[in-house]
Amino acid sequence: MFEKKNLGSGFSATTILIITAVLIFVSAQSYLEMRTPDPDVDRVVPANGFARKKLSDYFDGLKETPADTDVFIQQGEEPGGTVLILGGTHANEPASTLAAVLFLENTRINQGRMIVVPFANIMGRTHTYPQDGHPQIYHIKKEGSKSRIFRFGARVTNPVHQWPNPDIYIHPGSGQTMAGVERSNLNRAHPGRPDGCITEKLAYGFLKLIQKEKVDLAIDLHEASPEYPVVNAMVAHERAMELAAIVTMELETQNISIRLEPSPKQLHGLTHREWGDHTDALAVLLETANPAMGRLRGRTDEELILTGTDKAYRKAFDLGQLYIPYEDGTEPIAERVARHVAVVKELAFNLEMVREGKGIDLEGVPDYDKIVDLGVGAFLAD
Amino acid sequence: MIISWIYWVIVVLVILLVVRCLYEEKSLREQLVAAMVLIPLVLRALFIK
Amino acid sequence: MEWFWPEGMYTIVMVGVFAIASFVFKQPIAVALTIAAVTGALISGNGVPIDHLVEGSFGYLDTILIIICAMIFMKTLQHVGAMEAVAAWVTRKYRHRPFLLTMSITVFVMFPGMITGSSTAAVITAGAIVAPILLKLSVPPVKTAAAIAMAAIYGMAAPPVNIPAMIIGGGIDMPYVGFGIPLLVCTVPLAIFTGMLLMYPDLKRIAKSGKSENGGLENELKKMAHVPLTPRLLLPIFVLLALLGGERAFPSVSPSFGMPLAFLIAAGSGLLTGKKWNPYLASKEAVRASLPVSGILVGVGMFIQIMTLTGVRGFFVVSAISLPAWALYLGIATSMPVFGAVSAYGSATVLGVPFLLALLGRSEIIVGSALSLIAGLGDLMPPTALAGLFAAQVVGVENYFKVLKACIIPALVTALWGITIILGAQFF
Repeated sequence: MFEKKNLGSGFSATTILIITAVLIFVSAQSYLEMRTPDPDVDRVVPANGFARKKLSDYFDGLKETPADTDVFIQQGEEPGGTVLILGGTHANEPASTLAAVLFLENTRINQGRMIVVPFANIMGRTHTYPQDGHPQIYHIKKEGSKSRIFRFGARVTNPVHQWPNPDIYIHPGSGQTMAGVERSNLNRAHPGRPDGCITEKLAYGFLKLIQKEKVDLAIDLHEASPEYPVVNAMVAHERAMELAAIVTMELETQNISIRLEPSPKQLHGLTHREWGDHTDALAVLLETANPAMGRLRGRTDEELILTGTDKAYRKAFDLGQLYIPYEDGTEPIAERVARHVAVVKELAFNLEMVREGKGIDLEGVPDYDKIVDLGVGAFLAD
Repeated sequence: MIISWIYWVIVVLVILLVVRCLYEEKSLREQLVAAMVLIPLVLRALFIK
Repeated sequence: MEWFWPEGMYTIVMVGVFAIASFVFKQPIAVALTIAAVTGALISGNGVPIDHLVEGSFGYLDTILIIICAMIFMKTLQHVGAMEAVAAWVTRKYRHRPFLLTMSITVFVMFPGMITGSSTAAVITAGAIVAPILLKLSVPPVKTAAAIAMAAIYGMAAPPVNIPAMIIGGGIDMPYVGFGIPLLVCTVPLAIFTGMLLMYPDLKRIAKSGKSENGGLENELKKMAHVPLTPRLLLPIFVLLALLGGERAFPSVSPSFGMPLAFLIAAGSGLLTGKKWNPYLASKEAVRASLPVSGILVGVGMFIQIMTLTGVRGFFVVSAISLPAWALYLGIATSMPVFGAVSAYGSATVLGVPFLLALLGRSEIIVGSALSLIAGLGDLMPPTALAGLFAAQVVGVENYFKVLKACIIPALVTALWGITIILGAQFF
């Protein structure tokens, strides 16, 4: 091909540079599209009664930063407790965002208040993670040919906003050491600090939100790899353990089995630990299983995100490597969202059992079977 | 954050040196390799990726 | 067959295209990897996904900066004359004590690898300096090249910087913390063994015969020691140790510069050594020397992104964890060095992570350390042979396969030692 060693010249260098510039331009278009997506992407249609605020209303250090995210609040007619539903801490865990959006677009609160944050770390939604091969968006089908479009982002804050990370991240407050990249992970940055990096500031914003709104029940929605032990699970701070135990039993009667895990006291930076320690809220974190983020997954595409169908995971299941039932080789998004919705509803419904006068009564949100049968799209606005 | 800007300067300096090397390189293949290294560096320096 | 199709076919095509591009068309590894990645994307129906290809390379952007900045540091040491001064001092001091001379030369060659995490860096900086000394001391060229290549690989695996270990750890969210002692256990005994095997017999013979006083060597040493060895000359090394060591030993008080900046500050302190040198020239040489390795990392990043996209990665990973125990160990000891044809970094990324997952339940740091050591052997594998080829070049051996042959015993012992450590990891 290039047999002569000295084919390189100033001319070839310039030519190569021009080609490089074209490649940079083409790939840049794709990356920038995630930063300023079509108005239809990540669009939400809040149900009547939700007021839109910004997280910077609670901590003005976030004003005009790429971290400032939408906060939706609905106040019921009767006084009661306040529940916070946080979706999208990790943008590569779609059931988390979709469950929050489903609440946002369907809920009518009769008693108490509901706060919904569907896209907790929007800085994770503006990029996909290197070597993960993820698509940038996915479509939730609705009736006919209609669909809703959401971004599939990354677990961590876009390095465009926060780079470089140190070799070792020292969690402020606890002094716990972690891998440097965790500094960009919102769920290692709690309770955050007002003068830290942008991800820590974001975490601090949520701390202030919980404190100012006097949140009683704070729920952080996640997904995990099927080979990860804490999956299809609820992790509860010790103060939330009683409520979590009640809900676990309730769910068993509905044939929804969920692992209950105590929040490890030495594991800092996570919501279930830090919100529980630093606020009055009962803090729980929920995990469903998402094959599209696992390390054993095969072909990575939109189909995998939506159906969770994967032959590599099926084989791994036979080898005893998974922590979820996977006999049928699927883990559809509808089931994962339905699971989150069912658990959140039970938590809210039972709050009064552990906090007198802090009951929450809501309606309009479909139950587990309906979501599984009709799909998530059936419960999203046009 | 000051450290981010220091690293931005490092990236820009490295880009300039890689371009310099690309022009001094006598072999077309090595020029191609230099160009490959440039791509992620430039996208980071431009705050695109 | 259902398991094999189509991911197994994609695997064969991607690896095949890579091999043809690099062996038959003699393309640089970086370019061959890119061609293989594009082919993989095409046959799997993904077209030519430029955004995916470029995105893959970002997985190693930080690593590329570490390598380039570490190389600037090494070039600074060379330009101020510190490397040659140390080599000459050590040779003079120990030329009558072959064991200590063997060990000193081994450590000397390992050092740049330890600092940069790249075996190439060790070969082209320290290896190039000791090569003429060893040749003058009558160590045969092939053995000299083999000794330099092996020491460079052990240097790459030794702490503080072991990039394959970082890559493997990164794959399971394990921080690169606490690897120091395990990596020393992995590398030090092997470095001693290999030095004794490849250098010691000849150095001992020459020391006994009294030929080490010969004029050729003395001239060489005089040439090298044109700058006297003083503590001030070694200032960049002290600065680097303070910056990197401080950040790890006292993370809460030491400023966190990150490795690239720490290397540049240390290199900058070279201006205070009192020697005249040109920082621009040193930096340019460093970037030029780092380009092949950096390019490989960009190529590996693209290759892995396409492997993930097409399902080849999952096919690999789940195939690995489905192996019975004996096959797993055999697989580690053979496939990791062989896959190293793409570079030790590629081997660590593609195979290191699944093997570590298959071995979960033992001390992950120890297993990760041992896997990184075995992955390091990949730098002997042609066509890349990042350590071996460059070592043959600096010594002037034309036929690399002769060098590879001399490396077979140390390489086998290295693989066995790695497996032994993995077996032992269950007791920690």
